[in-house]
Amino acid sequence: MRPREIPGVASVIEAGAEDRVFDALLLLGPLVIVLVALLHRSILTEIVAGGYIAVFVLYTLYQGLS
Amino acid sequence: MSGAVATVGRDVGRILEALGGLMLVSLVVPVVWGEYYALPALLASAVVPLGVGRLLYLRFKSADAPGRLHGMIVAATGWFSVGLFGALPFLLIAWSTQMGVPGLATPSQTATLAAFTDPLNAVFESMSGFTGTGLTMTDNEEVLPRTLQWWRTFSEWIGGVGVIVLTTAILSRPGSGSLTLYESEARSEKIHPSIVSTVRTIWWIFILFTVVSILALWLAGMPIWGAINHAMTGLATGGFSITDNSIATYDSVTIDFVLLPVMLLGSIAFPVHYLILQGDLRNFYTDLQTRWVFGYMGAGAALLWGFLYFGGAYETPFGALRYGLFQFVSAATCTGFQTAVDATNVALGRWPAAAQLTVAFGMFVGGAAGSTAGGIKLIRGATLAKGIRHQISNVFYPETAVRRLEINGRRLNEGEASREFMEAAIIVVLWISFLVVGTFVLLLVLPAGEFSLANVVFEVASAQGNVGLSSGITGPTSLPQVGKVAFLFHMWIGRLEIIPVLVTLRTVFKRGGLYA
Repeated sequence: MRPREIPGVASVIEAGAEDRVFDALLLLGPLVIVLVALLHRSILTEIVAGGYIAVFVLYTLYQGLS
Repeated sequence: MSGAVATVGRDVGRILEALGGLMLVSLVVPVVWGEYYALPALLASAVVPLGVGRLLYLRFKSADAPGRLHGMIVAATGWFSVGLFGALPFLLIAWSTQMGVPGLATPSQTATLAAFTDPLNAVFESMSGFTGTGLTMTDNEEVLPRTLQWWRTFSEWIGGVGVIVLTTAILSRPGSGSLTLYESEARSEKIHPSIVSTVRTIWWIFILFTVVSILALWLAGMPIWGAINHAMTGLATGGFSITDNSIATYDSVTIDFVLLPVMLLGSIAFPVHYLILQGDLRNFYTDLQTRWVFGYMGAGAALLWGFLYFGGAYETPFGALRYGLFQFVSAATCTGFQTAVDATNVALGRWPAAAQLTVAFGMFVGGAAGSTAGGIKLIRGATLAKGIRHQISNVFYPETAVRRLEINGRRLNEGEASREFMEAAIIVVLWISFLVVGTFVLLLVLPAGEFSLANVVFEVASAQGNVGLSSGITGPTSLPQVGKVAFLFHMWIGRLEIIPVLVTLRTVFKRGGLYA
């Protein structure tokens, strides 16, 4: 089964900025929030959330500067 | 039966069905938080718009496709209907708590929740939410059931997407600011050629930004429930909070500064976000409105800092910067979050008059067209400023000279320039006219001597600009019933940029029915 065949994924991929990294961030985002809500504040959850934002910011800059 | 009635009825029916669906989705919240007593009320709230919407849709499903006139009427009646039916969760949950739900543990009634047993208060809260205003009939949001905290947040979030779709995909017309976004020579036409794919992409961007904002606020120290709610209402520039003192409750410099980019994201046109996410960072400075978002908010915040620091409201330069910057961005993006309260520093109402006037000016201008912000919009301010300069400098050129007005990279000929200038001027004149009328109405119904003229103008501008900052007038008991009805109208016309509401009212009253 390809990722595109998972319910909901196809519509995310077809919309938006047509960029796989941003698509992946959008699909993973709700899971990160659920993780943070369930595991509460810890080093692990802070690293995951911080990593998510770092990828978003750095990739946006990379896209613009490349 | 007029064909237009059928088209409008069918589309409003679909909107109501969607509203019912959103209420059904929200059933997750009382389940997660164990507020089972709210389930029957929320379910009943969903069934009503679903049923009415379904009936309308089935009755008119073979209606013609909507034109621009229909689009305006659908937008105006749809928004009003959503505000009306969206009040049901407030009303029914308040009455459920008041009377108790048989077989389910129901908490005792609070004065805050009891306010919503009055249908007008419930409609006010709902309209405030869906228009992204943020004025509230609650006196302590913290004691509201989580279900209603969520519904307030969700209504602003949905309303935020709604207004972007409205201005970028449905009502774009010359002079509205939205068409300018598309027609700029600096970029390729629309986000996508069809409305459906444009709406999907707007959702895509909005959800991505919401997730990023939630995680940023959580990392800044906000509890996750607060981060979810404030990220959603901040990005939607709505400003509903789940705490009694808005953002001041957290009294955190980090949270204050993390919220700034969240509110700014909401006030930048979403077609520009789309281009930036595709790697075109130049839009930060090549797009007129985006440039002005940063320029005028920077200048406004600097001016406010000066008034606050040298006016003696704050003892340290950093204190004046922290609260001045936050409040100006909050007002100019039309969010309405508040950090300047007496509990932690100096309340906005006790700031020097010049500082309050600066904040009010920010509310009046607002953010970019094509964003979630309210006010008259930056593009109209820019069109007016450039148009006035163009008209005055005309005197110095010979009559035979061919001159073009340049706005946002577009070179307009005399006819185009005149049309855009006129529409911007009409909206600004209407905006100010309704502000004046609303001020008179409120002065008539408020107890004499209790509020100053400045307070009243501030409050009406806040409602009409869909801002939500309050000088203390809005409240379940402090605002008379006539004032609440007037504010419903102000919030409604402010969200729809006046013209669609006037078109709808003219259609209904002038012709005694809809155009065929």
